[in-house]
Amino acid sequence: MGPPAYLCAMRVLLLLLPLALLLGCQPEAEKTGTVQVRDDLGRALKMPAHPRRVLALAPSMSEILFAVADTATIVARLPQDDYPAAVYRKPVVNNYPLDLEKLVLLKPDVVFTIEGITSVDDAKRLQDLGIPVYFQRYLRVEDVFKGIDDVGRLLGRLPQARHLTDSLRQQLRQLTISSARLNTKTPKVLAITWLDPIYSYGHNTLFTNEIRYAGGRNAITETFPQPYPALTREYVLKLNPDVLLGGSFGKLDSTFFKNYPELKRINAYKNRRVFPITGNLMERPGPRVVESVRELQGLLSQTPPTPPIPAR
Amino acid sequence: MPVRRPALWLLFGLLLVLALLVLGLRVGSYATSYSFILNTFWHYNPADPAQLVLMQLRLPRLLLALLAGASLAVSGYLLQTLVTNPLADPYLLGTASGASLGAIACYVLVPSLTFMGVYLPPVAALVGACTATLLVVALGTRRGKILPAPLLLAGVAVGALAAALGSLLTFLASPEGSLRSVVFWAFGSFERAGWDVLPYPAAALGISLLVLVFLQKDLNLLLLGEERAAALGLPVARRRWLLVLLAAGLTGGVVALCGPVGFVGLLVPHLTRGLLGTTGRYNLVVCAVLGGAFLLACDLLARLLYPPAGLPVGLVTALFGVPFFVYLLRKNN
Repeated sequence: MGPPAYLCAMRVLLLLLPLALLLGCQPEAEKTGTVQVRDDLGRALKMPAHPRRVLALAPSMSEILFAVADTATIVARLPQDDYPAAVYRKPVVNNYPLDLEKLVLLKPDVVFTIEGITSVDDAKRLQDLGIPVYFQRYLRVEDVFKGIDDVGRLLGRLPQARHLTDSLRQQLRQLTISSARLNTKTPKVLAITWLDPIYSYGHNTLFTNEIRYAGGRNAITETFPQPYPALTREYVLKLNPDVLLGGSFGKLDSTFFKNYPELKRINAYKNRRVFPITGNLMERPGPRVVESVRELQGLLSQTPPTPPIPAR
Repeated sequence: MPVRRPALWLLFGLLLVLALLVLGLRVGSYATSYSFILNTFWHYNPADPAQLVLMQLRLPRLLLALLAGASLAVSGYLLQTLVTNPLADPYLLGTASGASLGAIACYVLVPSLTFMGVYLPPVAALVGACTATLLVVALGTRRGKILPAPLLLAGVAVGALAAALGSLLTFLASPEGSLRSVVFWAFGSFERAGWDVLPYPAAALGISLLVLVFLQKDLNLLLLGEERAAALGLPVARRRWLLVLLAAGLTGGVVALCGPVGFVGLLVPHLTRGLLGTTGRYNLVVCAVLGGAFLLACDLLARLLYPPAGLPVGLVTALFGVPFFVYLLRKNN
């Protein structure tokens, strides 16, 4: 003969009590399955507490997702995405112009992007269609690490993100130490993004912080409204950078300096300190940001290949 | 009846140009005083970066702005006379759209922008401008005679076609930088000015003005209409060909070097006629001087408002030119 019915009921209740307590302690958001968060632009948005379908609208953000998220949860890639190789296994979604229909079809729980890459207007249209858009903003390398951690936290993958950022911080510390050993004089570095007209990395960009870690300083010290300002030849002459980034000496000598012969007076040209940079490294503030700093440090530590060119 | 003193207006225009040139020489990344400018002109030392900037960058830029303004204003004046339509401007012949198409094709298809050491965008723009102009003139000609109405319509059609092809190329261009170049070019800029390119627009303007000084009377006759002008002994067909040739030469060269700077060719001829009347003897010279002064002022404003590169000058000509134009219209009414 079994125990009486009231005893059975009490046992069941006792078993359910911890579960009930656990559920009671959880925040309201967890109960409804959504959380309210604020992105780096201060925009409030609601997103699932445990996103199962995610997407990036910037190539650097795709790299962050592939480094932190469960790759099975990444639903698509952008036409520009080329790193890591696993990205090619995902279907493509256009970002310029934004393929809204396909985005709706993909049903992402949340879309991550970067300020300046996706317009706030596009983000609003996506939000109106029920797709929350989370913006990140980076001005320092540390902001990128924080961004990676934030993505980890929002996707429930904080330990993975922390593991990555701890390692990156450690690598950056070592680079900073070796930069301090290498340079007695901090060179002025101008990084151009386009040759005609001349556009460059402005002061209010991540480059300013990256080049400092690499042992140099951004030649542009003024802050302009646009992060990548157009420059006049006069302005470049006044900056007189010690190092010019944006193309190999040979290539720029036959194009850039041929079109703008006045600029042959800058120190970078005279000392042949004109170097190409890996575009998809420098332009992508993601898990490879330290690799980018390492590349910059390598360029700054290079000695001119041939004797300096006399002033003309 | 307004008091018309062409010599006085000419003197005023020249003084304005001089003042704007001096002011323009002071504005830039290097701080330069008036005494420094004078000293540079007397004892130019290219080893001094500030003096180099003044003589090799700022002065050619200002002179290009002056020449471009003068050329576009004269070209606008000629075309308004040719088609006797107040809405005509230097780009009536499809020059700007053709030049834009050439430049866009170059920016999108030749990323290095250089071929055998030659900087390609101005060359491509000139080729585009000439092709479009020839096409418009061919469509606007019947039995060897240029007819204003078909010319006007052909200009609109060829312009629209070139603009559509340019837009298509821009749309299909994938590198973001190319789009940036296209946009920058489309609004016009004097940033690429140098002593090496200045002789071409200077020669085109000088020759045009020299020829037109002797043809001012013929221009006035053309305004009377084809039949009356012919009855008064004017070889209308030949004069029209000459005007088209001069206008195309003046506009094509400027657009190739500076991009399609808008509004100056529409506004300044009207301003000149408002000041001096429709048939004044000095109209063309005053129009050239005022056009130069207008673009010098716009370039100065562009550099002051948005350093370091400045706003595209075409934006400033529109932003400041349109209200002024509306004011002139209202005043005339």
